[in-house]
Amino acid sequence: MTIGISGYGVYIPKLRIKKEEYAKAWGSFSAAGVSEKSVMGFDEDVLTSAVKVSKRALESVPLTPDKISRFALASTSAPYVEKLLSGTVLVSVGMPNTAFSSDHTTSSRAGTEAMIAGFEHMLGNPGGKALVAASDAPKASMWDSVEHQLGAGAAAFVLSNDNLIAELEGHSSYASEYFGERFKPRDDSLLHDINVKKFSEGSLITNTTRAANALMKKLSRKPEEYQHVVIQQPDARVPATVGARMNFTDVQLAAGLVSKVLGDLGAASVPVGLTAALDASKVGDRIIVISYGSGAGSDALSFKVVGERKATPRFLAEADKKEYIDYVKYLKIKGAIV
Amino acid sequence: MKKVAIVGAGQSRYGEFPDKGIKELFFEAYKDMTASVDRGIDPKMIEASYIGNLGSGGFQLGNMSALVSEYCGLPHILTMRIENACASGGYALVAAIMDVLSGTHKVAIAGGVEKMTDVSSSKQKYWLGVSGDTEYERLAGTTFSGLYALIAQRHMYEFGTKREHLSMVAVKNHKNGAQNPKAQFQREITLEQALKGPIVAAPLNLFDCCSTTDGASAVLVCDADIAKQFTDTPIYVGGFGTASDYLAIHDRASTVTLEGTRRASERAYKMAGLTPKDIQLAEVHDCFTIAELLAYEDLGFCEKGKAGPFMEEGHTQIGGDKPVNASGGLKSKGHPIGSTGTGQAYEMFNQLRGTVQKPTRQVKNAEIGLVHNVGGSGGTVSVTIMRR
Amino acid sequence: MAHVSIPMYWRTIPQRYKLVGQKCKKCGHINFPPKGVCKYCNESSDFEEVQLSGRGKVHTFVLISAGGAPPEFADQEKAGGQYPVAIVEFDEGPKVIGQMADVDPKDVKIGMLVKTELRKIYTEEDVIRYGFKFVPITEGK
Repeated sequence: MTIGISGYGVYIPKLRIKKEEYAKAWGSFSAAGVSEKSVMGFDEDVLTSAVKVSKRALESVPLTPDKISRFALASTSAPYVEKLLSGTVLVSVGMPNTAFSSDHTTSSRAGTEAMIAGFEHMLGNPGGKALVAASDAPKASMWDSVEHQLGAGAAAFVLSNDNLIAELEGHSSYASEYFGERFKPRDDSLLHDINVKKFSEGSLITNTTRAANALMKKLSRKPEEYQHVVIQQPDARVPATVGARMNFTDVQLAAGLVSKVLGDLGAASVPVGLTAALDASKVGDRIIVISYGSGAGSDALSFKVVGERKATPRFLAEADKKEYIDYVKYLKIKGAIV
Repeated sequence: MKKVAIVGAGQSRYGEFPDKGIKELFFEAYKDMTASVDRGIDPKMIEASYIGNLGSGGFQLGNMSALVSEYCGLPHILTMRIENACASGGYALVAAIMDVLSGTHKVAIAGGVEKMTDVSSSKQKYWLGVSGDTEYERLAGTTFSGLYALIAQRHMYEFGTKREHLSMVAVKNHKNGAQNPKAQFQREITLEQALKGPIVAAPLNLFDCCSTTDGASAVLVCDADIAKQFTDTPIYVGGFGTASDYLAIHDRASTVTLEGTRRASERAYKMAGLTPKDIQLAEVHDCFTIAELLAYEDLGFCEKGKAGPFMEEGHTQIGGDKPVNASGGLKSKGHPIGSTGTGQAYEMFNQLRGTVQKPTRQVKNAEIGLVHNVGGSGGTVSVTIMRR
Repeated sequence: MAHVSIPMYWRTIPQRYKLVGQKCKKCGHINFPPKGVCKYCNESSDFEEVQLSGRGKVHTFVLISAGGAPPEFADQEKAGGQYPVAIVEFDEGPKVIGQMADVDPKDVKIGMLVKTELRKIYTEEDVIRYGFKFVPITEGK
């Protein structure tokens, strides 16, 4: 059975802060290649954003929410550590209470975990439809350099076996044990990172290249066969670093390099990058996405674009709806988010 | 209808009194009331007390009317706390009137008391502003200033009412209150000051909003047949009317009419055999300046939509043909929630007998007056017509 | 303390999350939020559930500054300044109050077209209360 994406949506909160504001406050800005990033509004959070983006994805098919049989929600920064998060989104979007819903939360790989969960559901339930939403706004201490890169954004996908925009060709994963790089103990509300760059980079490269290479081997694909490549983006330089190991070029990375203007979107990084790649793609193009979550693991998924339909609003239009704030306003808004 | 009389009325000073709680405040009003009875009153004759009160600053929640009554030396009477938000006092008056009308008792107190300044202003806002529709109006981020501002905004949109019209109400009431020794604020303000106040809930600014206040009042209601025992110049209840309305403004058919006021006053006029034209002066519920403008319309003093020009033309000034809030109104006199309604009756009692504390405030030859008390944003309204 | 208990808030979720209204079977008008007896005909308690679209227009509005904000919203006002609250008339008829979002307070006008969106309303007892706010309708979404 052919399964894939039949609809998608993206939502970026409109507040932006420029790297120059950080430089004014701290003397420097630590996120390589990022010129500005998105900031969640005072009365928004990852759940309200997930609701908004899920509705957009449904409307892009179009599909009514009552048809959804599987809902998967991904975020590393949900407002509760224990409470069924997908319940809020399920009810608000109008999906059936009887749909199987799952929360994916503990690393920035959660977005692709949720996508794979959705695809697995489709394989076992040809009569169903899945909705996957990745919505994230990670937080760290203002004193930590990792805080500089953290942005906010959300993407959602309707997964189906008909009326497809992009077919799933296959997926591979790799999981391993690493610790001490980006992590958050249960009793902490803020991200830690040991800031040992070579160590963290080692984990990132190992996990992503193994997942991606396994996938391309399985599908007998070569790197140059992909028109668009979306790789996890803690900043705007990591994808090139990983890409270089795998012979992906900057041209292939360009459309999906959303972190340049949005920052690190955590579990929504690859999903939002994928929406940008889908917007830029033509029928016949191939897209590979490679996520990474610290601790550590990676998923790689390969798509072939088969439909011309695009979502509204487009990623670029969304990214362009912005209102700049200064660092003081940034602190006020961030301080108030629980 | 001359079955019920008012033969005494008292009021405490309105303001902020850290050294006085609800018992002390009510006792002050009670003593003022008994002192105002020309031939005196033996307290043993008082058979009932109906006391308006909303929250007592969160202190005494149950049995507060028994508490303040026994403090005044009235331990074993019929006593009831009456609560209809800011209209509690007005309804306490109606309750006492109905008691005497029914023949159950011959002499009853209608009073009210509120202690609002015992807690911080942010704690105050917790228990204020829940007499509208809490679930939606409060959780949309408004307190009463916001709700009345919604009404003001629509009134300006539908009828061209101007920002200046709102401020004129504040200026008039402060001018009157400056001559009221019992008012919370005894300070005139200029139109320019009133226009430039800091915004609270646009379009309403600081000078459009009444304050929080401590205070108490009490009036002595009795069977008209025995009124002359107490005074040669009793005041009579001409008629009364009450009406409620949907709490949430959005549930009402019109945003710019208080149906409660319209129906309550219609009923009062009907009972009294009078029309709005017969009313010579009024104490109306100006919790916000827009509320006074609405009252002009909904009490029938002017046509719907014309309250702005009506204010501008000067009819409602002392000396005009329809003086409104000669006491200073809630705006200047203060708004101790449970007491406001009976405080209005206290003012009207003195106006109609020519015994107002400062003669500059005295409306000349006043014979028929109306008191108008609104709960919340109009969820409850009581209107009583008093006459010589 | 003004306090909306958790069950009290939870009972309003069909309205706050999904805009469920009640259509009176006798007179056809839609009650939102719900009433025991239809507020239009004042006679019937027989309703069928309908879901509102969330689209409507601003009937009236207010801009709340610090002095007008209830304590639950004091932090919001401090962080973001004045916020607009509107009574909106839904396309289907009923009017309801709600905060506006994603709009400059000085751009709010009577007649403005808006639609609902789920937002955080406030937090009490450590539980985030979500509900609808109104955002302006722009071309596209």
